Amino acid sequence: MSVPNLVVVPPPHLAEERGVSRAMRDVMLAMVPVTAVALYFFRLNSLLTVLIAIGAAAGTEVFVRNLKGLPHRLHDGSAVVTGWMLALCLPAATPWWLVVIAAFLAVGVAKELVGGLGWNIFNPALFGRACLVLLAPLFVWLGVELHVTRFHFPAIDAVSMATPLAMAKQGDLTLAPEVINLFLAYPGGAIGETSALALLVGAAYLIYRKHISWRIPVTTMGTVFILTALLGHHPLFHVLAGGLILGACFMATDWVTSPVTPVGQLIFGAAIGALVVVFRLFTGASEAVAFSILILNPLAPTIDWMTKPRRFGDR
Amino acid sequence: MQVKTFKQGGVHPPEFKDATASRPIRNAALPPLLVIPLHQHTGAPCQPLVKVGDRVLAGDKLGEADGLIAASVHASASGEVIAIEPRQHFDGQRVLAVVIKTDAAQVQAQFTPPDSAAVTPDAIRAAAREAGLVGMGGAAFPTAVKLAPPPGKPIDAVIANGCECEPYLTCDHRLMLEHADALLSGLRLAMTAVGAKHGYIGIEANKPDAIALLSDKADGNVSVLPLEVKYPEGAEKQLIQAVLGREVPPGKLPSEVGALVQNVGTLIALHEAVFLGKPLTERVVTVSGPGVVQPDNLRVKIGTPISHLFADCGGLTGHVARVVMGGPMTGWAQPNLDSPVVKGTSGLLALTAEVVPSMEGSDCVRCGRCAEVCPMRLLPNYISVTAAAGLYDLAERWGATDCFECAACAYVCPANRPIIHLIRQTKAEISARRRREPK
Repeated sequence: MSVPNLVVVPPPHLAEERGVSRAMRDVMLAMVPVTAVALYFFRLNSLLTVLIAIGAAAGTEVFVRNLKGLPHRLHDGSAVVTGWMLALCLPAATPWWLVVIAAFLAVGVAKELVGGLGWNIFNPALFGRACLVLLAPLFVWLGVELHVTRFHFPAIDAVSMATPLAMAKQGDLTLAPEVINLFLAYPGGAIGETSALALLVGAAYLIYRKHISWRIPVTTMGTVFILTALLGHHPLFHVLAGGLILGACFMATDWVTSPVTPVGQLIFGAAIGALVVVFRLFTGASEAVAFSILILNPLAPTIDWMTKPRRFGDR
Repeated sequence: MQVKTFKQGGVHPPEFKDATASRPIRNAALPPLLVIPLHQHTGAPCQPLVKVGDRVLAGDKLGEADGLIAASVHASASGEVIAIEPRQHFDGQRVLAVVIKTDAAQVQAQFTPPDSAAVTPDAIRAAAREAGLVGMGGAAFPTAVKLAPPPGKPIDAVIANGCECEPYLTCDHRLMLEHADALLSGLRLAMTAVGAKHGYIGIEANKPDAIALLSDKADGNVSVLPLEVKYPEGAEKQLIQAVLGREVPPGKLPSEVGALVQNVGTLIALHEAVFLGKPLTERVVTVSGPGVVQPDNLRVKIGTPISHLFADCGGLTGHVARVVMGGPMTGWAQPNLDSPVVKGTSGLLALTAEVVPSMEGSDCVRCGRCAEVCPMRLLPNYISVTAAAGLYDLAERWGATDCFECAACAYVCPANRPIIHLIRQTKAEISARRRREPK
């Protein structure tokens, strides 16, 4: 008796049904609720921003991998997820060419340039958004009008509203929206900031599916809540406004750029929360959430090393 | 049912035990040729005691080793020695083996059972050594050595390992049901040998019939402990943690925490060695997997080529893509059907193309699943990434040498990383460096 073509490989010879693409599908599902709320508020603008971001992210991945002589890996869904996440970080009325630039920087520079998925040091979507912010003066100098809207649908007016945090910063809290509105749905800021509830539903799904743990979202939001309360500010407002929930649940929990140890995740989340509070209350900086996460991203491996679990058998 | 388990990690692979769990052990047909390797254990290889042309009886000693850590090898059937040459081993090496052309009419060597009044610790160890006993759960460590506790390390508990946490395998389950008295006798022998006051039989809760039967028969200082169905419940350090709540320190033996673990099959063989004078020449093997026509539990002569066992089970069916010796989590993939069954062979699996994992992997995405399931609390993601980059020193600092290769990490890895391969490479590289720079 003989059997042809037997393969000799190390164990295991059994695998759990899983895959990177399966996780990416779940992440996409988790982004659907907040995207739907944004579609309601911003209509075609938000849809186009999401589609352009996804298309540019996928195109960049194919292009850069082609330059590197590698086959594309669109089937794992990670480029689509990066593009979609980037869209969540952008206002619906962002000009299309800015979306393309951000997507190129996110996928081409933050991800593929450093080795591709798994090797990125910074969260690609946040990297793209942060680059746009840093490049803004350049665009102004070049004389480009940044806040042009593509289409003139009635809902567009809502886009030009200041973000809740900006209103609060101007010292006029009366202008700021009610906390309950912020929680349910409010059309200020980026696409992914339109509904705290929708974000939390998506995050709960990811936790239920075991793609992320509760630790980073809870410690990030908890730290902001506690510190702002201690410093005499409105804690709920600070948790609900300015993309904190989007950052805590979808950006800071990115596998590649966050720690894997349980203790490390608690430290990571708390550090992000503390930095957000420092940025918001003690500096004039906008983009507190994005920069806090981007600052902690490269520290993830160090945090893992410092919080290595106790060695089996060591006391 | 109150179940105990180890504290961290673990996975729940599908069990696939239904195909054979209720099939009583039957004797496999005697093959025309037996290939009996002279090195089936951890330790020094045996030197042959026979030469080509010799006639041997079943039970005759074929090889012996001088080393402290070694186990003799015996003929599992009567016949003529037709070759002594290196032959393919299950792990891909070539190992010196005695090839026997078996007789149609079998002649058994006479075993002389020792005087049962003289069951002293020394007599038990001598019988285990004479019978060539090794751990039959897979690691094949010489039993006589394990039964000799190091000085100053008193052992208070002997644990019979009846977990059988690998999918597909049911040979230990059947042994517990069909040889319960021999198992209890063997456990008491091991307790006597090391002077332990307590005996435990750890059984995963998916074998309620074995738990009930042994609970019924066990008395005095022997107790049966149902354990959670979780892989790798039967790993030595994890089993000790589950049963006794003690952690064996890194690089140390179970005796460090006063424990001794023996597979249930080994304990039954110990009973037979001590009271019947019977050497270890056969064992029970579960032949299973979707590629086997009639999966079964077979009592197999050591040295039987695996092709013969598949034939005994009705042959193969479907597109068999992988043949595995052992269980699917830790077993050895075979290049062909030539390897013989050895003392540590618990299973023989024919896996079809539909059930073997994909061979395509990608870069680590740091999802952390491997860290969640590692029963040693390691971070396999860092080990695999550093080892893949050739940074073996770093891989060691991330704990590569603490890994006992249960493969739970690779089982869950969504990127399909060859983690076990990388860890073995790291260990080999580290020990090669140690040899080069003795210190």
